[in-house]
Amino acid sequence: MELQGSDEHSGACHDGAREVKTLGRIILFAVIGAFVLVPLAQTIMTSFVSTLPRAGIVEGHFSLINYQNIFHSAVLKQAILNSIIYVVLNVALCLGVGLPAAYAFARYSFVGDRQLFFLLLVFRITPTVVLSLPIFVLFAQIGLENTPVGIALVHCVFNIPIAIWILEGFIASVPREFDETAFLDGHSLPSFFFRHLVPAIAPGIGVTAFFCFIFSWVEVVLARILTTTGGKPITMAINALFGFRTDFGLVTAMTVLALVPGVAMIYFVRNHLAKGFVIRT
Amino acid sequence: MKPYDNSAWFLVLPALVIVTFVGILPLVAVTNYSFQDLFSLNNPYWVGIDWYRNIVTSERFYASLGRSFLFSAIVLSIQLPLGIWIALLLQRSHRFIVSTVLVLITVPLVVPWNMIPVIWLNFINPNMGLAGRMLAWLGVGFDYKFNALHTWIVLVVMDTWHWLGLVVVLAYAGISSIPPAYYQAAAIDAASPWQVFRFIQLPKMKTVLSMALLLRFMDSFMIYIEAFRINAGGPDSATAFLSLDLGEEIQAFNYGPSAARSIVYFLIVLTVAWSFKAATSTRAPVTMAPAK
Repeated sequence: MELQGSDEHSGACHDGAREVKTLGRIILFAVIGAFVLVPLAQTIMTSFVSTLPRAGIVEGHFSLINYQNIFHSAVLKQAILNSIIYVVLNVALCLGVGLPAAYAFARYSFVGDRQLFFLLLVFRITPTVVLSLPIFVLFAQIGLENTPVGIALVHCVFNIPIAIWILEGFIASVPREFDETAFLDGHSLPSFFFRHLVPAIAPGIGVTAFFCFIFSWVEVVLARILTTTGGKPITMAINALFGFRTDFGLVTAMTVLALVPGVAMIYFVRNHLAKGFVIRT
Repeated sequence: MKPYDNSAWFLVLPALVIVTFVGILPLVAVTNYSFQDLFSLNNPYWVGIDWYRNIVTSERFYASLGRSFLFSAIVLSIQLPLGIWIALLLQRSHRFIVSTVLVLITVPLVVPWNMIPVIWLNFINPNMGLAGRMLAWLGVGFDYKFNALHTWIVLVVMDTWHWLGLVVVLAYAGISSIPPAYYQAAAIDAASPWQVFRFIQLPKMKTVLSMALLLRFMDSFMIYIEAFRINAGGPDSATAFLSLDLGEEIQAFNYGPSAARSIVYFLIVLTVAWSFKAATSTRAPVTMAPAK
């Protein structure tokens, strides 16, 4: 993105100097890319290699055996399904309750609004390990343990605040007249939300879904304490693979599969991330 | 000015109900446990503030607190400047480069937290790992198991790998919300790059950066799974951070002491959040200082 005036002293800056600068930037970006990719590359490579002695496969040579093993394992397939269920539920829940709340914060002031905002901030940054013990006891009592629904619900504690912050920024950038026109046209609040507001802030919904997705997908402390005997997501299924004779190839293959939805999400929202968004505190 | 309307409460109510259920209710429960000796949950025995006294009088607590602060300080002083710098460079780059770099740098954010240490242990393994073999080939005696400094280096590099993307995305979001007119005005005034940064970009990035600062501080201060899997707090407790102590007690199902510890940590979080809010809301609005 070339912004006027961002090339600082345009008079003194010759074309040659600028080219050197551009080259330097590209080299730096390549270094950053390598820093990100090289540790991952090793894991990806291991996932395509048989790491245990098996009949008919040379140990350490290219093979798809690990991925085949995943699709022959009912436990691992169930874990992938569990992860997808809980994360979709969580994102839907956060968007569903976050959108009206963000609208309220963006458009109105009301008794206790600042205190409520502060409360959300506190829960976003409270480490999950602090809440894990009572959540375990509480959810066991009401039968929400060992199910993806429990995880979806529990992850709301840090994702609802995120959803409200990001959506509030997007809604606040829509002029108030936009709402008033819709209400004058006879739209009710729900109909205004779905027909006007959601389309107007669609990129915001995407960015919010992205952040809720990643924070829920990667969380392990609460997911572990809630799924001791069943309903295990991918992360916990991987943990269970470690043992006396760990099939490390299988572990890395599961890890690579766990990355796929996240990388796909990043790819879909890349332009919106690049365009920027506003978060207010 | 926003209109004052208390019926807006109906709009925030669903969110508040869920947060109450998964946040406030557990906090109330944990407060209750923290004053009791619970051999099992059915046999509570009131012990008052004994658990708290044990925590605040133990040297181990202050040692862990100090280590956690040190870790956060190192992590923040690397990741924030680096993230801002990358965002500033991105802003002058072509659209295609921007989205490529952003996609790449956010990939570690979607790696499940329990797999991050597995990836890194694999990477630095002296027999198989790319970095491990490289270091051995260079003749560096790298030993993250028994050398405290090396464990710290692994943790800091791993954490930077994991979280740099978040800082870059937030900083870049802040920079790209600056209207071009600001830069034009600065160019007319012949402002130096430093002045542009100090008086235009930094103030405009203030809110997103304070968000990045807060998120990065809390997450590094309470680092748990990643640190535990690398060296389980070792060598010789050199990387025993606050969360590791709590995790240990929860694993042992010591309800009372772990509840008291949870409350102490929550009070730290509350203090941090409150001082953060006080610092960001009382700061005088930065006016555009005319550069000459």
